[in-house]
Amino acid sequence: MTVLPLLVAVVDDDESVRESLPDLLAELGFAVRAFSSAEDLLAGDCLGEIRCLILDIAMPGMSGADLQRELRRRRQEIPIVFITAQQDPSVRPRLLEAGAVECLFKPFSETALLAALQAALRAA
Amino acid sequence: MQEELSVIDAIPGLAWSADPAGAFQYLNQRWCEYTGLGVDQISGHGWQAVVHPEDLPDLLERWRAILLSGVPEEIEFRLRRFDGVYHRFVLRMHPLLDGSGRVTRWHGVNSDVEETSRRAEAWLAGENRLLEMIASGHPLSDVLTALCRFVEQVDPRCSCGVYQIDWSGPTFRDPIAPSLPTSYTAAIEGLPVGPDVAPCGIAASSKHQVIVSDIGSDARWSSSAYRDHVLSHGLRSVWSTPICSRDGSVLGTFCVYQRTQASPSPRQQELIGQVTHIASIAMERARAEGALKRSKAYFAEAQRLSSTGSFSWRVLTNEITWSDELYRIFGFPRAMPVRLERIASRVHPEDIPQLKHLIRRGRNEGSDLEHEHRLQMPDGSVKYLHLVARATRDEQGRLEYIGAIQDVTEQRLSDQALSKVRSELARVARVTTLGALTASIAHEVSQPLSGIITNASTSLRMLAADPPNIEGARETARRTIRDGHRASDVITRLRGLFSKKDPAAESVDLNEASREVLALSLSELQRSGVVLQTELQEELPLVAGDRVQLQQVILNLLRNAAEAMSGVHDRPRHLVIRTERDGGDRVRLSVQDAGIGLESASVGQLFDAFYTTKSEGMGIGLSVSRSIIESHHGRLWAAANIGPGATFAFSIPRQPDPGISAYALADTRASFPADAAPVASTA
Repeated sequence: MTVLPLLVAVVDDDESVRESLPDLLAELGFAVRAFSSAEDLLAGDCLGEIRCLILDIAMPGMSGADLQRELRRRRQEIPIVFITAQQDPSVRPRLLEAGAVECLFKPFSETALLAALQAALRAA
Repeated sequence: MQEELSVIDAIPGLAWSADPAGAFQYLNQRWCEYTGLGVDQISGHGWQAVVHPEDLPDLLERWRAILLSGVPEEIEFRLRRFDGVYHRFVLRMHPLLDGSGRVTRWHGVNSDVEETSRRAEAWLAGENRLLEMIASGHPLSDVLTALCRFVEQVDPRCSCGVYQIDWSGPTFRDPIAPSLPTSYTAAIEGLPVGPDVAPCGIAASSKHQVIVSDIGSDARWSSSAYRDHVLSHGLRSVWSTPICSRDGSVLGTFCVYQRTQASPSPRQQELIGQVTHIASIAMERARAEGALKRSKAYFAEAQRLSSTGSFSWRVLTNEITWSDELYRIFGFPRAMPVRLERIASRVHPEDIPQLKHLIRRGRNEGSDLEHEHRLQMPDGSVKYLHLVARATRDEQGRLEYIGAIQDVTEQRLSDQALSKVRSELARVARVTTLGALTASIAHEVSQPLSGIITNASTSLRMLAADPPNIEGARETARRTIRDGHRASDVITRLRGLFSKKDPAAESVDLNEASREVLALSLSELQRSGVVLQTELQEELPLVAGDRVQLQQVILNLLRNAAEAMSGVHDRPRHLVIRTERDGGDRVRLSVQDAGIGLESASVGQLFDAFYTTKSEGMGIGLSVSRSIIESHHGRLWAAANIGPGATFAFSIPRQPDPGISAYALADTRASFPADAAPVASTA
């Protein structure tokens, strides 16, 4: 029996993030799917398999917070790690209160990312 | 006949009446008085005895010819006076004809030409003296005193007065009557001008001469205080004549008094006519001189106040005249003759070539001149002068420049200070904007930094794998470098936008400038939920200006638009930035939002410094923006959209050289996000 790697989805409109982050996650042993928007993710077919969502906050169209609400509405309880290039510290407690596992401010270290992922997988 | 004789006696010449054959029948009294002969001696042909022997033959010959033809003519001859002195006379005659046209009698008058001409000469000399006084600038009171004296000398029975009028009253003022006592003239001072006060008042208000031959018996003055005043000074007759200017306004009155009842004779009227004319010349001249003096004073004051001097330059002779103010501006003593070399000695050394060129142009072309140059004063200070001169030519076609030079030093220094302040204000505004943009900047830098760190981590892991994933590590290293450049670009753009530097005139591509600003503002706009649409016209002409300042304006307009839409929730926060040609010689940039729009009442205040409708912000953005655009010879305006929101736009002149297009230039520079890219694509 083959143990399938845990699926992590990355949603970010920034192409460089969609390139670099999945590569690192793959090196860390995760299966990764990258989406350029929340709408693309919702339209995809893998929503039920995702064990952790790494989600950008500010995106055109649906924002990260919008997607979080939408998933809760659909009763899709996927642990979410928000990532953002914004530097407003007041964002983090609001997101955690809304159920996010972690909120990482770009640029974040590999260690911080791993810690957040582990917390997310524990929550799942 | 008795009546006829009395008329003949009243004639002021030697009058006679003769039969058709030329024998004198009647003579007037003056004949006898003049010749010292009796009537009998002169009658008939006796008068011939007093004709000068040399003139008699010719006189008789012509006399006979006149008697024969019946056609009168004038004959000049000498006539002996009672004292044996011969005077030149003119004989004038007139025939009396019956029904058939025959001469029934001759009437004639012999007039003393010498006396007439002597009298005329005396009048003329008197008038000339008065005119000389006027011409040589004697005070008006002296002239009018001499005028009264002149009339009193010609006719000793008369006393004269000249009374000027102050029409603000209107009242009489400065009465001059040299032979009347002060007690008389004192009552004239301040006397109202009007139709029922005194003969002078009536003459002045009606513009007609008023003759009162006997004020004691004249019913018009029976109850007048003026009557008693005149009589109490021993005067009886008053003749008042208005003194009128050339335009018909009344300047004063000329008054002649006599101590007996009298009306003016034709000769006196002639004299009055002459002197009132001279008085009007004197008074008009005094008035004009007063006005000229005032005007000169005003002009000098205006020159001093405006620091403007006037000059004339006769090009052929190099004759230069200066106003006092120009001497003051140049710091030369007033009496010093002005020469071009002397002027050049004050001109700032760096401006000498321009001045020489200007003088050459003036000499050769004879066209109007306008020029600015500096003076280097002896104390080392510098003055800025603005010269404007019009070319004129005299009747001989000789060129002369008439011009003005204004000391614009204060304006220039103010301009420089203003420019410095504006530049400083723009910098302050940039720093203010910098604060507001901090989040956006951090975002712009954090994105590539995040990429760099992630890629470096990945790369390390790939190299540490067994076997090492060299190709993967190389690829991630490439991405690391790319993201490093991306971060570096952000820093470069920031340094350009926020560094303090003097305004520079360079070729600016508004499209490229807009893209740079958009690149820095994208995340800020995105965070504000703005949907950005860029419509940058291709091959947009370059503009000449300061790129950083223009980017500051674009940034302000973008932020303004975003803030105007912050309260909008019922429609997309649509923002369009558009560049396009504006006519043939200008370029326009507009920023259209879908925000709260403009309150018509506050449109006029939008561009005032410190005017703001926002709870945050100092309200200097639009004010600074406008001053920047105006310093680029452009204009900035706001207009309400047909739909929701407003559009702010500026239009500035394109660079004069049409050879280089913005499009061509843009190819050689760093590339920026594509025009059509939505805000979020680079966030």
